[in-house]
Amino acid sequence: MSVLVLAVQEEVTAPPQVVYDLFGAGAGAGWVFDALCDRVAPGAAVTLRAPLDPAGPPVEILGRIGTLEAGRLIEIVHDQPWRGRTVLRFAAHGTGTRVRLQSELDRQGFEWLLRRRGHAVRSAPRDDPALGLLTPKSGPGNLFAAASDNMATLALEQVNADGGVRGRPVELMIGDDATDPATGAREARRLAAAGCRTILVATTSATFVAVSDALADTQVLLVQTLMNEGGIGGRLRVQLGERPADQLGAAAVPLMRAAGGKRWFLAGNDYCWPRSTHAAAREVLPRLGGRLVGERFAPLGTTDFAAVIEAIDRSGADVVLSTFVGADAAAFQRQCHGSGLHHRRLTLAPAMDESTLARIGPAATEGLHAVSGYVESLDTERNADLVAAYRGRFGRWAPPLSSLSESVFEAVHIWCSAARRAGTDEPHAVAAAMHGARFELPRGTVTLDENGVVAQRLRVAEAVGTELRVTTAGF
Amino acid sequence: MTSDLAFDALADPVRRQILAVLSGTDECSSGALAEQITSVGRTAVSTHLRVLKVAGLVTERKAGRYRFYSIDPSGSARDVLALLNQVFRSGLLAVNDAVPNRSVPEDSPPDAAPTDTPHRRPA
Repeated sequence: MSVLVLAVQEEVTAPPQVVYDLFGAGAGAGWVFDALCDRVAPGAAVTLRAPLDPAGPPVEILGRIGTLEAGRLIEIVHDQPWRGRTVLRFAAHGTGTRVRLQSELDRQGFEWLLRRRGHAVRSAPRDDPALGLLTPKSGPGNLFAAASDNMATLALEQVNADGGVRGRPVELMIGDDATDPATGAREARRLAAAGCRTILVATTSATFVAVSDALADTQVLLVQTLMNEGGIGGRLRVQLGERPADQLGAAAVPLMRAAGGKRWFLAGNDYCWPRSTHAAAREVLPRLGGRLVGERFAPLGTTDFAAVIEAIDRSGADVVLSTFVGADAAAFQRQCHGSGLHHRRLTLAPAMDESTLARIGPAATEGLHAVSGYVESLDTERNADLVAAYRGRFGRWAPPLSSLSESVFEAVHIWCSAARRAGTDEPHAVAAAMHGARFELPRGTVTLDENGVVAQRLRVAEAVGTELRVTTAGF
Repeated sequence: MTSDLAFDALADPVRRQILAVLSGTDECSSGALAEQITSVGRTAVSTHLRVLKVAGLVTERKAGRYRFYSIDPSGSARDVLALLNQVFRSGLLAVNDAVPNRSVPEDSPPDAAPTDTPHRRPA
């Protein structure tokens, strides 16, 4: 992996320990030192808001604090929008401090920046098969996708170590939808033009719908890897992942029992997946004895949820169905906790994932439940192997796995197994081989029937600190 | 710049080191570069510079018997590297705004001016 190390240094008119202590203190010390983190300690989640896009909002660099040496060194290990380490070193210089910053930029990061700045990045014609991954590396979805490209990388390394496809290594090509459907459609066209005959889409459903339309006239297989509301037809469209009605069916009764009440409030981001999930809730919950007492939507990218929280409080709900995603989900949960909402009611967040929990912080996750086919703490042999391989490859500070990111790992293996069975990476043949098939994966057995309907075991899980732990083993 | 050529050029650690040095400066003489890059000899540095030049990552200016190198100003690589450099630098400079107010002299001592690498000006 080629990595470019950028180094800058500046002098600051205060001693090293004083400068060191400014990090993460929110003291108006610029974007590097005003990193957002609950605490400055190894393993703490950290967000740097870099003004890398003069025309737009800051680019969020997401990672964790790695090594710390008081007054001497701060290491940030980051994964979004590219993998690398940024290290701050402090040395006494006269009465002040010389601060040296070194930041790694890998090829993917370089390419990402080139595109972000509007430069054309050409790719050479290739003979080897290429697999596309569309994932939010920026925008509010960057959080749930923090491990997605690691997952694709790891799975393809396994596939290639095992002989690849058609006897050739498979190359991974990554597109960033920036959590925006139009950008996603543009990136998907770019991946298709670069030779990707299959694109794994691990974005919001809003992007998947836009990509599906944009590539309607092409012979590209689109696989939505993560939970979704379904409904996109066609032989070249596969939607893996959990479905809202199944998730609610699995979680509603245990949640009402735990909350000691049956009144539900629905709150989420305003796009297709939350709306479909709420529609499913209106159907499923009354059947299971639940009663709906309110509903609110907020656009993706909302940061202030006071009005929503007040409406929830007034409604007297026992359970909140939260369909906020990514950074919005993190902000909503933190503000709920700040207002003491968790003392009075439980929250079921079907799309809650471990990466978002890390951002919420261990203190504010109380009362939060999720329902999915996978959690990182899942006790299966295949998952133990996966987690060990992942930590071995990307290190202890790599972002946690979740149903949303791990779905990418599984989708790569599903694609590869179908391509090998079909003996080709021709999209129609691969898609056909995915149907009427059974796959043994870290989450367990996943089947696709002849119509592409996915079946998998669902788990209700409770947030314990920043971990999701299974409480109810499936239905 | 064609990016593939550029990335092939970046596949070598010495060339990445050269580029990192150049990204923090306007221009650098081959001699000053060779002093910075200690892992290989002078001749090897020249060879690597030639590869970077062909890849469109680096431009060369001749003045007398000296050659000066800089990241290709017309190239997109320069745009990205210069942006990163400037953004990181401004991030560090802003720390001074938050330093607890002490008896800091109004006029900064000469060595407190922003410094990057010692080869900022060609020899």
